[in-house]
Amino acid sequence: MRRFFAFIISTLFLIVSINTAYALDDLHRWSEREKQILKSLWLGSLPPPPKDPSNRYDGNPAAIRLGRKFFFENRFSGNRKVSCATCHPENMNFADNLPRGHGMGFTNRRTMPLIGVAYSPWLFWDGRKDSTWAQALGPIESPVEHGFTRTQVAVVIKRFYKDEYERVFGSLPDFDETGLPLHAKPSPDDPKALKLWVTLPEKTKQAVNEIYVNVGKAIGAFVRTIMPTKAPFDRYVEAILKGDIEGASKILTPMQVKGLRLFIGKAKCINCHNGPMFTDYEFHNTRVPQLEGLPPDDGRASAIVKVLTDEFNCLSRYSDAKPWQCRTLRFMSTDVFRYKGAFKTPTLRNVAERAPYMHAGQFSTLHEVLHFYRDMPADKRPPDLEHGDLTDQELLYLEEFLKALSAPPVYYTDEKK
Amino acid sequence: MKRVTLSTMVFLTLVFLAVTASSHMKYKPKGRIQGFTKHFEKSLFEITERGYYSVEMVIKGEVLKQGKNEIDLIIHDNKDRDVTGAEITIQPWMPEMGHGIDIEPQVEEKGGGLYHVSNLVLTMGGHWQLKILVSKNGLTDTAVFDFPEVSGMSMHRHVKRPEKIDTSRTQVSEKGLYRVSYKPEIEPIRINTLHAWQVTVKDREGKPVTGARITVYGDMPEHGHGMPTEPQMVEELPGGKYIIDGMKFQMPGWWVVKLHIHSPRGMDTVTFQLDIK
Repeated sequence: MRRFFAFIISTLFLIVSINTAYALDDLHRWSEREKQILKSLWLGSLPPPPKDPSNRYDGNPAAIRLGRKFFFENRFSGNRKVSCATCHPENMNFADNLPRGHGMGFTNRRTMPLIGVAYSPWLFWDGRKDSTWAQALGPIESPVEHGFTRTQVAVVIKRFYKDEYERVFGSLPDFDETGLPLHAKPSPDDPKALKLWVTLPEKTKQAVNEIYVNVGKAIGAFVRTIMPTKAPFDRYVEAILKGDIEGASKILTPMQVKGLRLFIGKAKCINCHNGPMFTDYEFHNTRVPQLEGLPPDDGRASAIVKVLTDEFNCLSRYSDAKPWQCRTLRFMSTDVFRYKGAFKTPTLRNVAERAPYMHAGQFSTLHEVLHFYRDMPADKRPPDLEHGDLTDQELLYLEEFLKALSAPPVYYTDEKK
Repeated sequence: MKRVTLSTMVFLTLVFLAVTASSHMKYKPKGRIQGFTKHFEKSLFEITERGYYSVEMVIKGEVLKQGKNEIDLIIHDNKDRDVTGAEITIQPWMPEMGHGIDIEPQVEEKGGGLYHVSNLVLTMGGHWQLKILVSKNGLTDTAVFDFPEVSGMSMHRHVKRPEKIDTSRTQVSEKGLYRVSYKPEIEPIRINTLHAWQVTVKDREGKPVTGARITVYGDMPEHGHGMPTEPQMVEELPGGKYIIDGMKFQMPGWWVVKLHIHSPRGMDTVTFQLDIK
């Protein structure tokens, strides 16, 4: 009798274990085509970042070290309290948690993540800059960010950084500090500062610009070292590609795997969030409503002229690139109508650590973002944004999956590792 | 006497109701958008680029189609008042094709901020934009309405991917003038990577075609959008070879690339299909 029971129990156990093993196998079974897609999203498929031909200090260790210092330098601000790290804090993966950037005042857009920024052909939500160094120089002169000017930057460098500057860039251009108006910059947002700038002698303008550009190039070289590391998703793909289902099942939860299957399949997220950085670096109008109280924002459409006329673009006199190397700028689309209200697809790496979302922090949770995309009426939705008929449960799977893309970035630090 | 007064009052009330109802029928507000009134449920609504006017568009038959269309436009100013006596210009435009149309749409003012547009002819299906210029007392402003997929005579809303696509890198042009092949700078072609193509153009007899001008259009028919770049022919090499730089595909899937070739032998178009992974 006891033996009979033991037999029954062991049979039952066998059935249950076969069942679970089968379910496990099913959950982690991917077709060859799907494996190809998984591999395309895997961090291991990320090539080394393309060189920035416009910045001769890209990859230069001394410039990177100085750029890191500048990144945290509060003296480059009107109230001596704002640095790049104010909105890009080191302990938060270099992206703050506010709906809109907050320096000396509030910007109209959400701070962008810096992770893997070296791969982005365009900078800012609207891509109005085409290199990290040109990007870094924008906020410094913005009255709501650093609230500073390039003439002030030149003075700070001369007073506090002369030796360090000269070790990286050679001799500091000479300018007469006493006669230099501190509040001078060529920005249309401040006519008084603009007048002071245009009335400066050409030689002074050139000296100040050279220093300002080099500060940008150092910061640009530093932020380009901020790179993603392998997240649970990447380790899962590695296990799957090796055929190690047992190992794979320990890395992602069943919900996350179901979310991943939706992400690359039915939900069509990879229409835009593709490649190992989970972005196509393109601009799309996602029909996300503008925040109340903010002026209308037509995104990329306005930035097309801005980047073409930018004094620091790849084809400018301050760029170190040969004209033929500026392919991004030369072949950019100038279709203003197409890009009306379009914003850059952000990377999804670390997305779960980075609320709130969208270009003006319109949504405070991933849940809201996913519901927004699903609930968009079909007649208002461009074909790119077609996400299949997703159930609430499926949105939950997707949300869980997005949490599997988190991993702290690596970047240049002064500390010896 | 009393009875007469009562019936008169009832009659008058009815008349009053009827009048107000009919006058409100047309302009029953359906909501406000950034301070502008939108009257109809099934209308399109845009605020002009500089914020001077709102343009509400009611399409006869609800959707634009290939051929003749009629639309109504209701224009308000930035104090939400009806704009009368404005000059309205309609420019239909195909962004991917880079062309508009020669047939001029006719605009007729109906009063109360309402303008009727007839003879709006869209020559083909595909991605159209209607640029509406509103001008009054020197204040000119523009609104653009986007129609990613105007249905053609025999086209579905999106073009479905065919069962099999011919991804051969050598193709004969439509009229048979050229035999064209291409070789990308990178193998395989990756998404989001700007690269160049070397294109070889030969004639019917297989002789290299020199002195050609090539223009490029890339399209994703399932999505109704093109490439994120404007590729250009940048160089001609000996032997009928041409470099087209600035190619970029930002989405995996079925892509169609058309090369328009002009040479002394004539103008012709060759189509390549790609399956970008």
